[in-house]
Amino acid sequence: MQRHSILAGLHSRENDGVAGAFKPQLTSLVDVMTILLVFLIKSFSTEGSIVTPSDDLQLPFSTSQKPARPLCTIEITRTAVISEGEELARLDRLGPPDSMLVPPLLAWMRLQKAKCEGLAKPEVLIQCDREIPFEIVKKVMFTCSKAGFADYSLLVLTEE
Amino acid sequence: MRNISFTKSQSAPSGAVPEVELDLTPVMNMFLILVPFLVSMAVFTQVAIIEFSLPPNVGAGLDDSLGKPKLKLTVVLGNDHSKVTLGERMLDSIPSAGDRFDTDSLLARLKVRRAGADIQDEVIVAVLDPVRFKHVVNVMDVCRDAGFEKIGLSSAADEGL
Repeated sequence: MQRHSILAGLHSRENDGVAGAFKPQLTSLVDVMTILLVFLIKSFSTEGSIVTPSDDLQLPFSTSQKPARPLCTIEITRTAVISEGEELARLDRLGPPDSMLVPPLLAWMRLQKAKCEGLAKPEVLIQCDREIPFEIVKKVMFTCSKAGFADYSLLVLTEE
Repeated sequence: MRNISFTKSQSAPSGAVPEVELDLTPVMNMFLILVPFLVSMAVFTQVAIIEFSLPPNVGAGLDDSLGKPKLKLTVVLGNDHSKVTLGERMLDSIPSAGDRFDTDSLLARLKVRRAGADIQDEVIVAVLDPVRFKHVVNVMDVCRDAGFEKIGLSSAADEGL
């Protein structure tokens, strides 16, 4: 009954001036909403994200502004080399220590190369964790080059 | 004029200025529609790409008169310092302070060396095995800031550093 009278106080103009009528103060809420709206408009993007970084790695920061485009992607996380959700090789078992070649990755990349046969310049997009030593990246690049890929792109986070 | 934007709230005593109250409910309704829409379209992390090639594919770089390959500037990146070299000749050596590379000095030296180089749009970044990937990306950024459009990435031999 009391709740009913509060709601009635909210919506009914006739109750104005009656003792106990409840009027919510929306001013501060509108202030918050306005700030939120400005922030969201600033980060609004009509293009969306074509390439989604993997959750398992932290990309390095760069000043590059070149937009990402969908390519054949290799992810080098802190534990494994992954492509399209499939773990190709673990970093602690990348192959013989004296060899630059990663056999499972080579087989995978040859398949990918066959898919890109129509393209003039098949390209690989490498997503690599920022703390990975270059030795690992070198092996991945070498294996990709053996599969026929010569051009590469690195996915990075844009610095503000 | 005033009555248009105000609610028809309290009836003020005659002669006194009426207390006005803005009706913010439509504004709140608009916000409640706009905010979820903008949240769904917001991009909080911007991604970009850095293009590079393996060194032989950066460019042909042949000297037409002699048929010999032209030398390209190379930035050799080690754990504790970086070097700018041209062929076998070391041009500059820049030490790094702990985990941080002196990118400002490297940028200044690269700009100077680029001005005197035969090939001014290509550079090779040669990296030692233990160097972390974030430093490689930093140095590639520096090379691009110095005016090099094409970047080749290769590994460096341990000797000499």
